[in-house]
Amino acid sequence: MTFFDAVAAEIRKTATLPATMVALAVTVLGPVAITLINAIGVRAALRSGRSELTAYTSPVDAVFSAVPIGTVGAVVLGVVAVSGEYTANSARIGGGRQITTTLTAIPNRLGVLAAKAVTVALLVAVAALVVIPASLALASGIVGADAPPAPEGVLSRAVGAGIYWLLTALIALAVTVFTRNGIVPIIVLVVNSSLVSVSVLLSHLTPLARFLPDLAGMSMFAGDLLAFDDALAPVTGGLVMATWTAGLLALAGAVFLRRDA
Amino acid sequence: MVLMLSVERLVKRRGSREILTDVTFRAAPGRVTGLLGPNGAGKSSTLRILLGLDRADAGTALVDDQPYRRLRQPLRTVGSMLEGSGAHRSRTARNHLTWMARSNGIPIRRVAEVLDQVGLGAAGGTRVGRFSLGMCQRLGLAAALLGEPRALVLDEPVNGLDPEGIRWIRVLLRGHADAGGTVLLSSHLMREVDEIADDLVVIAHGRVVAAGPIREVTAGYPTLEDAFFALTGPTAGGR
Repeated sequence: MTFFDAVAAEIRKTATLPATMVALAVTVLGPVAITLINAIGVRAALRSGRSELTAYTSPVDAVFSAVPIGTVGAVVLGVVAVSGEYTANSARIGGGRQITTTLTAIPNRLGVLAAKAVTVALLVAVAALVVIPASLALASGIVGADAPPAPEGVLSRAVGAGIYWLLTALIALAVTVFTRNGIVPIIVLVVNSSLVSVSVLLSHLTPLARFLPDLAGMSMFAGDLLAFDDALAPVTGGLVMATWTAGLLALAGAVFLRRDA
Repeated sequence: MVLMLSVERLVKRRGSREILTDVTFRAAPGRVTGLLGPNGAGKSSTLRILLGLDRADAGTALVDDQPYRRLRQPLRTVGSMLEGSGAHRSRTARNHLTWMARSNGIPIRRVAEVLDQVGLGAAGGTRVGRFSLGMCQRLGLAAALLGEPRALVLDEPVNGLDPEGIRWIRVLLRGHADAGGTVLLSSHLMREVDEIADDLVVIAHGRVVAAGPIREVTAGYPTLEDAFFALTGPTAGGR
């Protein structure tokens, strides 16, 4: 069995799960919808001459402040790729979980985990390639001629947002290997990335919080939107988040390898 | 076309409890081997170790001369069915089998073939969560047959099947063994094992208490049932 076969099987398996489709829809439609709302607000503020009403006046920032909703979709994608393996069927239909099928088909456990990571990364990358350019076009179309000159570094921030989603999805995948159940990681990671960021709260207590994976990663795309002073530089932040991701995946691999299925 | 499954001195602990103690037996090609024992005797644990799902604390479980985890394209060598269908409930039967086929380089046409073979030809597009117990067992069997394997390892395969289904699986397994294949199945149902198996491995409290051709194991007892209770009962001391 080749790694290619394992990846092809995982892509087919993940893509045919209804939860994956829901997560992809959130990743794609969520940021577009929020961008739409943001951009309309920016246009109204600019046209009425009261730009102090919005936190930003750039259509670009209308897009990047919509990134967290896409993060929610990425989290769900990463979680269900693993939690779907452990969903127990009811006793009425004989019980059982998909993980036994997966590991009898592909006994190389690190291969399974790597194939899952590749699959999730591909899905998130494709979603990001569609949704970020589409959102940027939408925002500049709505704000139109009223917009201030575009800030520099839009491309690198767009790439940064995509990488942020990708790494977040992989972190979610790794964490779900530890829990073998999707509920806790989904709640914790979704709340942290959309409602109340624990890391942002911690940043008020210690500057070390900027090295936490989400805050470090946000510096890749947030620009001035990041509400604290000593944020890492974008590339540094990206490397810090990637290091967290690699570490968590390695730990997940070690656990997955040793544990009874 | 010969393939031996061999389990040697397996020991498995969960916490401080030893659930398998020195479990040793073989399942030979051309024969149906029945792993018989009461619930909780260690049948499933033994099969899970043989299939590389769980790790033994001691001993070996081999497919010919190598552990399952070393097999390339294992579905083409050993077909297995454990609890239920082994499919995610929100998936259709067809796409469950399709990803399995893809993972082991099995031609996709096999998916329709095995669905027809197990009588699920019309249910391929139905989500597994809507299946009955019997349909799930049939899907599990379809998955086991997918890679045209030489050996079949089945945990309680007749659970949930109606009499017609039980007869069907008996014919199927007999045919597989007669063609030189290896069949290892577990069951707590004596009558089914009696009618299906050539060799018997009786397991109780994590130990093999008797093993051999079925007539040898039951020699001296009026029926397999008498032999079973004598061998696995509270006063059983092996033989």
